[in-house]
Amino acid sequence: MKLQAVSFTAAVLFGATLFAQLGSRPTGQTQFVSFEGAPKTAITLDQVGHVDLQFRVTHGNHINSNRPGSELLIPTKLSLSAPGELLVGDVTYPPGKQLILPIAPDEKLSVYTGDFTVGASFMPTGKTSPGTYRIHGQLRYQACSDRACYPPQNLPVQFDVKVLRSTSSSHRNPPQSPHAHP
Amino acid sequence: MNDPRPVAPLAPDNAPPASPDHAAEGKPPRSGKRDLVIISVIVLVVAVMIWSAVRFSHRGPQGTAMLPGGSLVGKSAPNFQLTTLDGKQVSLSDYRGKAVMLNFWATWCGPCRIEMPWFVDLQKKYEPQGFEIVGVAMDDSGEKAIRDFTQQIGTNYTILLGKDAVGDAYGVEGMPTTFFIGRDGKVIDQTLGLASKKELEERIQRAISSGVQSSSSAGILSQGATPMAVLAWKKAIARKALAWVGGR
Repeated sequence: MKLQAVSFTAAVLFGATLFAQLGSRPTGQTQFVSFEGAPKTAITLDQVGHVDLQFRVTHGNHINSNRPGSELLIPTKLSLSAPGELLVGDVTYPPGKQLILPIAPDEKLSVYTGDFTVGASFMPTGKTSPGTYRIHGQLRYQACSDRACYPPQNLPVQFDVKVLRSTSSSHRNPPQSPHAHP
Repeated sequence: MNDPRPVAPLAPDNAPPASPDHAAEGKPPRSGKRDLVIISVIVLVVAVMIWSAVRFSHRGPQGTAMLPGGSLVGKSAPNFQLTTLDGKQVSLSDYRGKAVMLNFWATWCGPCRIEMPWFVDLQKKYEPQGFEIVGVAMDDSGEKAIRDFTQQIGTNYTILLGKDAVGDAYGVEGMPTTFFIGRDGKVIDQTLGLASKKELEERIQRAISSGVQSSSSAGILSQGATPMAVLAWKKAIARKALAWVGGR
């Protein structure tokens, strides 16, 4: 009985391992970047808000930066769509890291690896009322490893922005720096 | 040494009971030791398999990755019809009897840009042996961008404008993905990712020397046929040709 139990356990472990091996193969929808979130952001009706969106590139891969240095390479781009009551302003990208692959020592790539942050600013309009607004968007990127490249992908993102009443609603303050964090 | 506990009845064949209690009953724990060894071996094997799954699951020989969609090796290469940059329709079946290196690439693919100049050399070197490179451009950058790119590289082999359906048929998920097809239309090897020029050349040579029986007397000679057999084969071909002409 004990040997049977051991054999059964072995079979289950073997099957699980085999399944893990098959399951670990990437599919057509494999994402090479994950959206790690954005800090909770609150602004008042008279503020320009700024939020830093956190992304992570999977280990062993890289994606082109926003300025990859060649028109043939596909740049990383964040596009956001806010509800009508909020306006999306500038999107700011970090500079790329220079990458020289051993297979192509003459070619300098500008890439993002590991964690990187993309900033976005937004501002209320005259129609904005206090409340929480959900902003949707997508990060378009094109990933490569040191030997292969994968088709461009779109990574969905979403985050919430809370709009508060102005502290002094009788007279509007001038907009603050786009980099001010509420 | 007297055990005060009641003794359990023995099995009919007087075999020692395979219960966890037998060690406690003063019998030597041989079965337990054996199980321990078996479990240790299993744990070791599973650990190695898990490690290898993580380490090598996307890697083929020489560091090139295996295709995620499953291997086509040993199977007939799926036929397709695509358009060249000159607007001509080309089918893979047009190359039957030749060894083919089918390369899926894209203008945004850095590794593809590295290997394409090698392909120019390989096409020159192996074309006289009945070898053709066929490049399938799999990007949305448009015909002009592909044409400019290939002109810059100076490609001397066929470039086709790819379609997703063809990529799907071959399980292409990344670039470059390359299939080495024998003269009989069967895939003899496939790689995902950049391979060295030497590795490519080895695979090309295998493609050239595989499936040669389909179209040439050199092919059957290379399979060990005698000159008499070649003569008989040629006569049979001639008879078929005459019959075909007569039928028309």
